Amino acid sequence: MSVRPATLTAALERTIVGQRGVLDALLLALLCNGHVLLEGPPGLAKTLACRALAAALDGEFKRIQFTPDLLPSDIVGTRVFDQRESAFATVLGPIFANVVLADEINRAPAKVQSALLESMQERQVTIGPQTHPLPDPFVVMATMNPLDSEGTYALPVAQMDRFLMKVNVGYPSRAEELEILERFAMNERRPLHGVATLADVRAWREEARAVHVDEKLKRYIVDLVASTREAGGVRVPAGNGEAVSVASLIDYGASPRATLALAYLARARALLEDRDFALPDDVRAVAPHALRHRIGFNYRLTTQGVAADAAIDALIASVPAP
Amino acid sequence: MARFLTVALTLAALSCAAAGIGRAQTLQRLTVTTFVLGADTSRPQIEVPFHLVVTLNVRERISAVENLELPILAELELLGDERRLEARPSGTQYRETITVVAHHTGSISIAPATLQAIDARDGRAKQYFTNPLTLQVVGGSLEPLQAGESFAGAALDLARRALLWGLGIACVAAVLILALRRRAPPVPPPVVVAVAPARPVVARTLRDELGDALSVLRADPTRATAVTVRAAVWRTVGGSEGETLADVLHRPAAADPRVRDVLRALERAAFTYDADLAAAVPAACAALERYLA
Repeated sequence: MSVRPATLTAALERTIVGQRGVLDALLLALLCNGHVLLEGPPGLAKTLACRALAAALDGEFKRIQFTPDLLPSDIVGTRVFDQRESAFATVLGPIFANVVLADEINRAPAKVQSALLESMQERQVTIGPQTHPLPDPFVVMATMNPLDSEGTYALPVAQMDRFLMKVNVGYPSRAEELEILERFAMNERRPLHGVATLADVRAWREEARAVHVDEKLKRYIVDLVASTREAGGVRVPAGNGEAVSVASLIDYGASPRATLALAYLARARALLEDRDFALPDDVRAVAPHALRHRIGFNYRLTTQGVAADAAIDALIASVPAP
Repeated sequence: MARFLTVALTLAALSCAAAGIGRAQTLQRLTVTTFVLGADTSRPQIEVPFHLVVTLNVRERISAVENLELPILAELELLGDERRLEARPSGTQYRETITVVAHHTGSISIAPATLQAIDARDGRAKQYFTNPLTLQVVGGSLEPLQAGESFAGAALDLARRALLWGLGIACVAAVLILALRRRAPPVPPPVVVAVAPARPVVARTLRDELGDALSVLRADPTRATAVTVRAAVWRTVGGSEGETLADVLHRPAAADPRVRDVLRALERAAFTYDADLAAAVPAACAALERYLA
């Protein structure tokens, strides 16, 4: 009997305390063949989660720390002259791994960001005359630190759209933090190896593609995305306690890529729960992650003291589930 | 054909019941003390306007009465309608006076008025009924004698009318005696016709609804029926339009594991692929049977 995605989740939970959102995001991205953008303060086990996932799949893990002086070749690789062979040899960059952690992606200039995002999209890298396919599965988890924005290069919305989902990572609860202390203070637990194989992931991906999405659910997905463009009478409490129109906070809504992302993610979530059909709950659970980085909020969001997630939640709540 | 008709009727009944209960989310929360239908005369005269009065007393202070349905007055012509809401020390009195006129003599039956509200005493959605009303429309008043009529003819006519009146009074007396023997409810002071106190009709139980759901699903195991039944069961457990299964599972009425199984099975039947429907609907029926067992 083959391993199920739930087994992988359980194995990762034995290594990572709490942060179920990050683990789910990683697995969903893996099943959808997409990439994740994580926003949260440092020290929340993002690296550990990536490393644990790669280990559990017996895959390769690489971490790239983005800095202002990083060059595209530092990510994708370069050609060096081999004096012994008197020929150019290709040295592949750290992007050639199954799980790549792009740490603080907004610290590198646009040229480097775009090199990474192109590789994510194309799933291949061209170095000199040669094109090298990236390994399969290939998932990038990029992080952004919201606390320290000085000297950063914000990702344009068009670039962010390439990420399948954006997850906000929060602090663990007191109970979880106590367990972290128990587990890691004295003796760091090593990630589990070989829980599933890369071939299993490819098979799960095929299964996820075959998950049934009912017509009613498809309409719900389209309505959800349309609500970001036609927020109409949806209102959300502002900082001063008064309700403001969500439409007045949005410059542009989510693209059709969000519609596709919602469908992929709903299918993948259904598979994670061992179902071969998606439910409205699947769509609603993944909607904030699929929409968060695809809606262009304007300055009023800040001046009115509205949390972006509150506005998104109000939009989602305004669309009746089938 | 008969099976189809049964399914259609049951579905309709289920939808109506579900819709009624579904509205419970927007119903007023009231403590109904009296809800009566009366008339200012029990024997209205033909072509003479009279009044029907619906009186509702509640303990709460309210500014409007919602979900009050008046009976259909097919045999009477509606001339006017006046509503009055009066705050009282004991709460609020709502009084709706309908002015009508009858064009035919004979007996007229008026169905009860209905009110849907959440009973503030137990928090359940209920439908309240007034008493029904039966009126006897009689002919007009005695017309003056026409000039040129003979005295004998007039006397005969007068005697005939007196006899008819006598018979009528005797009949009314007999009806009143019979009614008193049957212990008719006391007549409240503001209205002439006997009225009964409001009798709240308790909403259908979850068990009733799930029993209906099972009958419907068994009779018509299609996706459309599964979707209808799912919606009806959701409303019964307090779920409202636009919620998802996760929301409904958080409702107190869904705490029972057997109800949760039913909800999950119906969700599967509503959203699974066509090939799985043949297994999903029997699974939903089985979950319903487990609950009803």
